[in-house]
Amino acid sequence: MAKDMLVQDLKAWYGTQQILKNINLKIEKNSVTAIIGPSGCGKSTFIRCLNRMHEVTPGARVEGKVWFDGINLYDPDVDPVQIRKRVGMVFQKPNPFPTMSIFENVAAGLRLNGFKDKKRIPEIVERSLRMAALWDEVKDRLHESGMSLSGGQQQRLCIARSLAVEPEILLMDEPASALDPIATGHIEELIVELKDKVTIAIVTHNMQQAARIADYTAFFLHGELVEYNQTEKIFTSPDDKRTEDYLSGRFG
Amino acid sequence: MKEKMEAVAEQKIAIDLYKNGQNRKVMEPLFRWTSLVFAGLIVLSLAAMILVMVVESWPSITTFGIRFIWDTAWNPVTLEFGALPYIYGTVVSSIIAILVATPISIGCALFLTEMAPSWIRAPIGFLIELLAAIPSILFGLWGLFVFMPFVREYIQVPLNQFFGFIPLFAGEPRGLGMLSAGLLLAIMIIPIITALARDVISAVPSLQKEGALALGATKWEVMRKVILPYSRVGILGAVMLGLGRALGETMAVIMIIGNRPEINLSLLEPGQSMAGVIATQFNESIHSLHVSALIEIGLLLFLVTFLLNVIARFLIWKVSGGKNGVRVVQ
Amino acid sequence: MLSKRFSEKKGVKGGLLFLAILMLALLVAACGAGNDNGSQSIDPAQTETTEPTDASDSTEQDQAEQDSAADDAEGGEEGYAPPTANVTLRGAGASFPHPLFMSMFYDYNQQYPNIIVDYESTGSGGGQRALKEGTVDFAASDAYMTEEDMAEVPNGGVIHIPITIGTVAIIYNLEGIDTGLKLTQETLSKIYLGEITRWNDPLLVADNPDLDLPDQAITVVHRSDSSGTTSIFTDYLSKVSPEWAEKVGSGTAVDWPTGIGGNKNDGVAAQVAQTPGSIGYVEFAFAVENNLTYAQLRNKDGYFVFPSLEAASLAAADAAANMPEDTRVSLVEKGGKDSYGIVGTSWLLLYKEYPDPDKKAAIQHLVSWMYREGQKHAEPLHYAPIPEEIAQINDRNLAKIK
Ligand SMILES: Nc1ncnc2c1ncn2[C@@H]1O[C@H](COP(=O)(O)OP(=O)(O)OP(=O)(O)O)[C@@H](O)[C@H]1O
Ligand SMILES: [Mg+2]
Repeated sequence: MAKDMLVQDLKAWYGTQQILKNINLKIEKNSVTAIIGPSGCGKSTFIRCLNRMHEVTPGARVEGKVWFDGINLYDPDVDPVQIRKRVGMVFQKPNPFPTMSIFENVAAGLRLNGFKDKKRIPEIVERSLRMAALWDEVKDRLHESGMSLSGGQQQRLCIARSLAVEPEILLMDEPASALDPIATGHIEELIVELKDKVTIAIVTHNMQQAARIADYTAFFLHGELVEYNQTEKIFTSPDDKRTEDYLSGRFG
Repeated sequence: MKEKMEAVAEQKIAIDLYKNGQNRKVMEPLFRWTSLVFAGLIVLSLAAMILVMVVESWPSITTFGIRFIWDTAWNPVTLEFGALPYIYGTVVSSIIAILVATPISIGCALFLTEMAPSWIRAPIGFLIELLAAIPSILFGLWGLFVFMPFVREYIQVPLNQFFGFIPLFAGEPRGLGMLSAGLLLAIMIIPIITALARDVISAVPSLQKEGALALGATKWEVMRKVILPYSRVGILGAVMLGLGRALGETMAVIMIIGNRPEINLSLLEPGQSMAGVIATQFNESIHSLHVSALIEIGLLLFLVTFLLNVIARFLIWKVSGGKNGVRVVQ
Repeated sequence: MLSKRFSEKKGVKGGLLFLAILMLALLVAACGAGNDNGSQSIDPAQTETTEPTDASDSTEQDQAEQDSAADDAEGGEEGYAPPTANVTLRGAGASFPHPLFMSMFYDYNQQYPNIIVDYESTGSGGGQRALKEGTVDFAASDAYMTEEDMAEVPNGGVIHIPITIGTVAIIYNLEGIDTGLKLTQETLSKIYLGEITRWNDPLLVADNPDLDLPDQAITVVHRSDSSGTTSIFTDYLSKVSPEWAEKVGSGTAVDWPTGIGGNKNDGVAAQVAQTPGSIGYVEFAFAVENNLTYAQLRNKDGYFVFPSLEAASLAAADAAANMPEDTRVSLVEKGGKDSYGIVGTSWLLLYKEYPDPDKKAAIQHLVSWMYREGQKHAEPLHYAPIPEEIAQINDRNLAKIK
């Protein structure tokens, strides 16, 4: 069940250094939103605020509101663990659990969440691997270590792992940056297919990628949201001069 | 113009190669040979040690044969010697120590790396390293004067009262004995295991932890499902180092184990360790067979340590389950 | 990576060791203060009542004996001349006489600076081994050598020279009984045989009508290390109890029928102090210096006596009457109204032949000085002096060196 997300006056710090300044934006449901901007502008920080992962870093702090399914993520009563079950995340570097098999990696989230119906686990694992377009490659070696896969396969395994718990929103931080063009292609196809089921926010440095897969694009600069609009609009006629300069490669 | 640049580049590469070549001719063999010599020295001194011990214990080996290992007599008057009570004392006290110290140490290490507020991590970590450096004789004194009466009143007496029907806790709660020795050893090795386990655990990449957090794991689940599996080989190594110290510990054990070469099911009864009997009886023992038997005990201690290390290697190999385990060890 | 981390921090650790010791010491002190069980610590005041008469007596008498011994020596016996060359004598062995030797050798070196004596306290066994290997010029041992071992000594064989007398005190930890425990040959051996196991045993009660002995288990403490003290103590038990002689025997370490072991005198003393209802044995000097509570022991003639230097010398003098020329004899359980039973000799072990004439001269001069003039160092350090009767036997043996 995909959901949307509304970010209001979001500010984030690492120690005393303010990284995000007053971000306001809405991530539409059943769509792909790309986050672009020069290195160090706060893209990762931003999406880490959307599943309360930012605060895991010692000294990190967040202010503002993020509305999701009628609740504010930063409400003091909200349990971040519950949020992260519903807002999944895929990291820049593939990080399968090295001590678990391929099967166990995908089932890990289910087991963590105390999934009761043990008989359904193989079925969910298969479905998640299929959604991540990995099933055919690994179906005969499910009990081998997750580390025995190639980098691209590992990343798709991590996507399958996130999908297994059926998140409503999936956050992806440069998921294809460590992959070759073919593996990247697989992942891009996958993302487009997935948006029927789940809302996706993806950080990317690859403008063509954003243009290819994203419905909306947000341009960040120095911790500020410079421009946010439909991808087509951003890439063809951006409102802000800085967006245009960035897209035409004049800085960043 | 373009050609010229290429030529310059080529020349540069050639120079680099040339430099490397010189290094390879002189430095590499030099390094290889010196390291070979040092490695050889280690092996040689080990072999020499074993050889001397075998030679010195030869009278005892030939007199008592293999039954030295399971004989329970130790009579310097009639010159009958058997090692079993000492093997028992060393192994059982060390096992108690490991069983008690391992969970506590891992808990401490997890607390220090994952839970403690950052401002107390450094001071506590420092204290633990300090504890690890305290000479064992001080532990022994503290054990005898402070810890032993405490164990008697608050551990042995209640254990004896409520579980006295179990042979393990039967007998007179004297304070001295196997249990006290095991617990004191545990206290001695906790700092070592904790310090090492902390280093191993803090080497777990945060990407791994975040991976689990992102799936909705609690802090506790992250520790159990990600951190511990990831670092188990290193932790096992830390535990083995602790076990090594427990097996070889001499002075502190002497002060608290009761020094009675007996095999008693009850942990409240005294025992004696291998290192302990060697340290206490070597100097004043007069008969050469007695000395020889003591050296054979030393040889056996060596063997016991070696065996336990082999078992540990095997465990590590099993736990790491082949090649990805190797990756985990880094 | 781990090991590197560790080695890097070593320096810091070493430097702060002091702090850790301090903390531990505080901890010990704090816990000690919190523990108000009277029997846990041995209070210096407790033992005072047992001592004064003995102590003052022995001081006077020993002084007298000393003076006469010194007079004899100066009265010009054969008298060995020290060598004029520089000589270094190397010795090794028993740890019991080590403090006495240090004091003697220092004094001796002040008088005869060309002779340096180097003594290493390696234990009686170590001393005997070194003598057999020929790596020393003399050894010291709390037990005499067996025929078997003597046969292995090079340089013409070994000469035994009694150099001081060791006494063993029986210490105990009984709540409320700070002094006055009386033991007999029978009760002591039965306690160590594990046959008397409680303090209110009828045999103990019969010997101690004035004491209110508790219904408490006796925890027997013995030395866990090999030691001359154990040798003397088990020699005594073997002498007074045929059962002990048969079942256990004597030696620097034995197969104890019961009890727990403490390492060295301080280990035994500490375990006795820490275990209510315990009994142990330590060197007399150690008991005196640490104000431990010790028991009276019935002697051969039936009198209960405290251990003392005087009582030890009396036992030695009694033994000298029919001592074999090689002095290899036990001193335990000798006669005399005031003599004490658990007494043993500490010997110097010399070669019969010293090829180097300077060494020979040095050995003879040093050793004769030690058992005569040097004996003045014994008493302040709580060692019982060698009686004149034995010194004369030593004179005859020393003259045999070639
Ligand atoms: N753990 C941290 N502690 C302190 N500062 C941090 C930390 N992580 C990131 N920062 C800082 O926060 C700022 C934003 O970092 P962030 O990772 O969000 O950038 P980014 O836009 O994702 O860059 P990139 O495209 O290189 O991934 C940077 O200036 C960075 O130096
Ligand atoms: Mg980033």
